Amino acid sequence: MKYSFTLIKADYLQRTRSYSFLITLAITVYAAYSFVPPTNAAYTTLNVTGYRGAFNSAWVGYVSATMTAVMLSLYGFLLVNNGIKKDIDTEVGLIIATTPISNFGYLLIKLFSNFLVLLTIAGITFTVSMVMFWLRGSGYPFIFTDFITPYILFALPALFVVSGLAVVAEVFLGKRSILQFIIYFFICGAVMAGINGPESGNPTVAFDPFGLSLVTGSIKSQINTQFHENIKQVSFGFIFSNRKSFRTFEWNGVSWTAIFITSRLIWMAFSMALVYLSSFFFHRFDFNQSASRKKKAIIQDQQTISTEIRPAAINAGPLPPVVIDYGILPFIKTELLLLIRKGAKWFWLASAGVWIAMLFAPLDIAHTYLLPIVWFLQVTRFSELVTKERTNRLHYFTYSSYKPLLRMLPAQILAGILFAIILALPIIVRYIINSNIDAVINILLGAIFIVLLAVCLGIISGGKKLFEIIFFMLTYAVTQKIPAIDYLGATPQQDNTSHIVIIAILILSLVTLSFFVRNYQARHL
Amino acid sequence: MSLVITNLTKQYNKNKTGLSNYSITIGKGVLGLLGPNGAGKSTLMKIIATISKPTEGTLFLDGEDIVKNPDRIRKVLGYLPQDFGVYPNLNAYEFLEYIAAMKGVGGKDLRKRIDILLEGVNLTADAKRPIGTYSGGMKQRIGIAQALLNDPKVLIFDEPTVGLDPEERMRFRQLISDLADDCIIILSSHIVSDIETIADEVAIMKGGLLLEKAIQPDIIKRVEGRVFETLIDNSELTAFKTKHLVVNTNRQKDKVSVRYITRADGPEPGSATVNATLEDAYLFLTQNS
Repeated sequence: MKYSFTLIKADYLQRTRSYSFLITLAITVYAAYSFVPPTNAAYTTLNVTGYRGAFNSAWVGYVSATMTAVMLSLYGFLLVNNGIKKDIDTEVGLIIATTPISNFGYLLIKLFSNFLVLLTIAGITFTVSMVMFWLRGSGYPFIFTDFITPYILFALPALFVVSGLAVVAEVFLGKRSILQFIIYFFICGAVMAGINGPESGNPTVAFDPFGLSLVTGSIKSQINTQFHENIKQVSFGFIFSNRKSFRTFEWNGVSWTAIFITSRLIWMAFSMALVYLSSFFFHRFDFNQSASRKKKAIIQDQQTISTEIRPAAINAGPLPPVVIDYGILPFIKTELLLLIRKGAKWFWLASAGVWIAMLFAPLDIAHTYLLPIVWFLQVTRFSELVTKERTNRLHYFTYSSYKPLLRMLPAQILAGILFAIILALPIIVRYIINSNIDAVINILLGAIFIVLLAVCLGIISGGKKLFEIIFFMLTYAVTQKIPAIDYLGATPQQDNTSHIVIIAILILSLVTLSFFVRNYQARHL
Repeated sequence: MSLVITNLTKQYNKNKTGLSNYSITIGKGVLGLLGPNGAGKSTLMKIIATISKPTEGTLFLDGEDIVKNPDRIRKVLGYLPQDFGVYPNLNAYEFLEYIAAMKGVGGKDLRKRIDILLEGVNLTADAKRPIGTYSGGMKQRIGIAQALLNDPKVLIFDEPTVGLDPEERMRFRQLISDLADDCIIILSSHIVSDIETIADEVAIMKGGLLLEKAIQPDIIKRVEGRVFETLIDNSELTAFKTKHLVVNTNRQKDKVSVRYITRADGPEPGSATVNATLEDAYLFLTQNS
């Protein structure tokens, strides 16, 4: 048992000692700050039409805890669903496979390590929530239990379930991270859709893995009683509206029931049981065993070739003279080739399906939903644009090549932009036919922005995760028509020029930062 | 062509020094770098390859400062890092075309050039397969091919023979001696015999310092007349090691044949003088520094 603690600790430290995690924590501080919006803000996070809770300890504590549970349930999965993959990439897995540790033991370590990573983030939102109480202070007394209890009873069990599901997803879907996320997102969506179902005190809240229906039920009950209303809907998330005046209600938290508390423990046990079941299917880093017949045939073929050929002399021979060519076109060609060859073929079929749909769907639907989706389907391609050199340990060649900053990096950026524009071509052509030049500019700027965001975050963090999470949030924002973070300009804007200027400034900042940081990295290996 | 390195220091942080006040002049031919792990060999190579900046010191290639103007050396550089990788989805042709583009090599004869290099490293038959399916030795050979794409005048090989089988190692050595007349070759290896057969000059390093740089016979002279062999009992070995620098042992039933270098007191009675090798000199210099 004591070895398990050491292993969990080592795994946790390995995953958190990175720049990308540091950036994640910085973003967390900002997110936690925005969980509790001021009274004059244009958005709410816990939304009941026309109502807002008074800023007492219970409101601030519960809103923060529930928002942490909601947001980390969605994005936290993306953050932690690479624990096993890391062991494959670093080949530490091969060492682990030869140790006496059982499959279940190993997966359990991953579960707890995932949980600790999410817990660290939750710890930050928890701390910030107390700071926010003082910042937003309305003279209510500070009650510590109003902050800690919802975190322990909502957020922690929810994060434990997420951690377990991330392990299970990795076992069954391996490196197919997009597919993992799509499936997870639908499961999560289905669960979230049910949060307004059972009323407070109803035992069916036990079936909600995130336990949020207990909060929604309690709030509805409070408002309906206090104001004689018949509110049926309470929602979580960043919800933007132009509404400025709200009626304030005082809410003092939920009444915890034994059923609810037991149900949290059962959900945690359930996720451990899922991990246990998945341990029977865990590959234990033996990939030849699970290789498809086609792959096995290739491996056999290679072995035949290797034994048949006798090594010839390694000889420079009569080489033709070197012709100097410092152009970037060959880079762009190879970058496009790498973008195309990445990923499974069926994924291309899905993208092709959405691409064709963009030709025929109503333009606003194509712009608001299909384009962000088809781009998001390429998330691992974009996120690898500048990180693949390091992942594949090719950066030694890149950085020691002639003018890497003026040739390699622009080629990667241009290839990414070209790729994004090709994917958006059906809509661009339709807008041109409709003479809607503003929309065309918005899409082109959106393509440049998203590629540069991938490049910049990849260069700074050295990994793919940060961009993947932010890209998901941006995609979600576009499909939810949130104008403030609609990088595609899909939501009708009052002043499109301002939108263009803002995106252009962001693009310039991202380019500058990318070149600046890469310039440093190229000389400091 | 010459590479002049003066007072080069690489300080990673307060407690970690990669190189310390390192000065060396490297001319055409093969310079073999020998040193234990952490000696600073890879750090030195990275600095020459311009992917790491020195904290202090200067580096001139034919009179031009390559710390300030790294592109000067990049145009003529062939570099094989110790732990390089490849893009697994590209085949050998595509990969070498990509590296050629990095090096600024193009033209209609590029394909022919790649063909000859692939033939030279015996990868023609596998050239159209994704590199991800290659064995370690095959990847190492493609690494050697990429280093030669641009007719380099400065070649840096960091542990180049790792993963090569004995026959390939022998051919690699031949290739290096073919190239040595025309360019600067800097080569590091843990395998002293590789350096012994290839290098014109040897630089022995330890803890970021240059201990010795000379042609092989001069380095070997440092231990000439001090290397001996003798047969002792198994039980005497531990005590023997405290008196002499044991460079090799060979067990024979209850006796051990020991090759050793005397420190100060002269040889043990019954010892036979043997010819000193580069390995003896290397161990002597690194152990006694």
